[in-house]
Amino acid sequence: MPSATGDYAIDLHNVTKIYRRRVHALQGVAMQVNRGEIFGLLGPNGAGKSTLVKIMVTVVRPTSAAGTILDHPIGHKPTLASVGYLPENHRFPKYLTGRQVIEFFSALAGATRKSRRRRAEGLLDLVGMAERADTKISQYSKGMLQRIGLAQAMGADPRLIILDEPTDGVDPAGRRDIRDALLRLRQQGVTVFINSHLLSELETVCDRVAILVGGRVARQGSVDELTITRQFYLFELDSPPWSSMNAALPAAFDTAPVAGHVIRGKLPDQTWCEFDGIHLRVGHTDPAAAQPILDALRRAGIVVRRMQVIRPSLEDLFFEAVTDRAGGERVSPGAMPPPLPRESS
Amino acid sequence: MSQTLALLLDAYRDLNSRRMFWIVLILSGLVAGSFAAIGLTPSGFEIFAWKFPSFFFNSRVVSPGEFYKSIFVSWGINFWLSTIATALALISTAGLFPDFIAAGAIDLYLSKPIGRFRLFLTKYFCGLLFVALQIGTFCIASFLVIGVRGGAWEPGIFLAIPIVVLFFSYLFCFCVLVGVWTRSTVAAVLLTFLFWVGVVCLHTTEVALLGFKLADHAAAQRIDHEIVATNRQIARAEHISATQPTTRSSLELATLRSQLVQQQSNRAEHHGAFDRAHAMFYEAMIVLPKTSETVELLHRELISRARLGEAASDEDDSNQNRMDLNGNPVPVAELQAELRSRTVTWIIGTSLAFEAVTLFFAAWIFSRRDY
Repeated sequence: MPSATGDYAIDLHNVTKIYRRRVHALQGVAMQVNRGEIFGLLGPNGAGKSTLVKIMVTVVRPTSAAGTILDHPIGHKPTLASVGYLPENHRFPKYLTGRQVIEFFSALAGATRKSRRRRAEGLLDLVGMAERADTKISQYSKGMLQRIGLAQAMGADPRLIILDEPTDGVDPAGRRDIRDALLRLRQQGVTVFINSHLLSELETVCDRVAILVGGRVARQGSVDELTITRQFYLFELDSPPWSSMNAALPAAFDTAPVAGHVIRGKLPDQTWCEFDGIHLRVGHTDPAAAQPILDALRRAGIVVRRMQVIRPSLEDLFFEAVTDRAGGERVSPGAMPPPLPRESS
Repeated sequence: MSQTLALLLDAYRDLNSRRMFWIVLILSGLVAGSFAAIGLTPSGFEIFAWKFPSFFFNSRVVSPGEFYKSIFVSWGINFWLSTIATALALISTAGLFPDFIAAGAIDLYLSKPIGRFRLFLTKYFCGLLFVALQIGTFCIASFLVIGVRGGAWEPGIFLAIPIVVLFFSYLFCFCVLVGVWTRSTVAAVLLTFLFWVGVVCLHTTEVALLGFKLADHAAAQRIDHEIVATNRQIARAEHISATQPTTRSSLELATLRSQLVQQQSNRAEHHGAFDRAHAMFYEAMIVLPKTSETVELLHRELISRARLGEAASDEDDSNQNRMDLNGNPVPVAELQAELRSRTVTWIIGTSLAFEAVTLFFAAWIFSRRDY
């Protein structure tokens, strides 16, 4: 695990953004992205993802922010020469061709004429747009625009690429091309930061992810790190009566489950467990520890149809992060209300 | 440097893609070309192949060179460059900044290693490029027409490029401020036209008040002279009346005294009523751009540099019979002298100060805003 600042491509601390003194879009975000990895940023609508991305590329000014991007403080303009960026809902000048878009934005990033011409050619091939390179942007489909946008972000040979919804509007083949391009970038040592709603795609390419909820980082780490502690045994039962279940696992649950709801409890060894009427989930992955539970279920005459270790997907993690544990409600879209003032004791 | 060149190239491509740019450019060519369509002959004038005989308007009365210069000043500058072409240029360029700062477009620029202030100024000067190209085309065409058809090669015509660009920049900076502030092209166009009309009205009112003020001063001065003369006559009449008292001398003295009272009464009416109003408008004009005066500067410079004096003198003649609100003749020569006493430095300096302040506010909004 990297520990020094120099090992991070992005190292953010206490990033706060308050709009018009009322809307707290970001509330002290801390986030670290290692060099050469693909990092995914997830979160519900209004969680502050785009605001965070825009702060990193100086499009939005933070209320407060500490930390570095490529070893330079946030907002350091010259550093942006090494950062490629594809915004969400981008609008490229319609009078340019795809090739001109790549060359123009590479020039703005400070690339020399020779290098941007050479790179544009290679990038057009990479994103599968070589044949339409000299067509005006106004005639492109959404998917084509995304491909050119990705090529544009890579135009100036950046060390960090920040992509905001890169696969938005792209067909499955295009998504695979983009995924392959990102993996190739990682091989070349480029750090890729992706903000996306497509959890399954992120899961396949991201080394690490962060889940932003209400302007705060709710989870952060590698997909393995985040899911290993949430693995569990699932016992699929043949609709046992509550009396049998209570006999099998006495004191685990207080009451019988109501249809469609989950009841939670703890086993005598303090392992968490859940029961929804059919599925029993037990919070460990040790086969030896599962045997006594299986025995107890059988002793109570309960038929066990299936038993397996379940590893939660990124989607499960996401929903867990955006669901209020107490009420079971999903957080509503939009920025969180400002933090309440602390009560003086 | 490569970034600035890239932005300039992009600005050219942007202009190139706008139909209005080409429409105005073609119209500029047509306006200049229409000069060439008119010709003077010893017996009259011709338009294309049609000949019109005239005793007063032929090459023996007006030399072709002076004729084309006259058209250039009265139509080319007054009508085309400083009115129609400017209005079309404003309509064409008003969307530059609202389009530039639209969501999804500005992100791409701001995420590059270019300071916001530099980005703003580069984009602003790219907008001025539009007008510079238009005027450049028009001036080259006019230069050729006056040279080939009129036989007078006047490089002074090219002064129109910096002066009209300067004039346009006063309006464009305001347009940019509104565009950056409201993010709306329609608001930018409408408010800029309103501002332009307002400035022209203010300038016209200020010049009219100056004329009235000078007429008032001239009338007061004339009455003062009359009072002095009447006082002298009264003194003489009193002396005669004292040494040789007659009924006639007494009557004459009474008439003179009555005349003096009348003159003093008239003098009281000319107490500088327009001074304060003029001062108010003049002070308001100080902080505003001098659109009309900047274009007049072009007349002034062309008259002295390109010897277009004859072309402009006709305009002065039409003002000879101007009267103020009280029916006093406006001293046109004095008015012209007063207006021409306003130095180039004052006209351009105060206008550029306005432009600098306006641009500062626009740049400040542009730089401080979250997109």
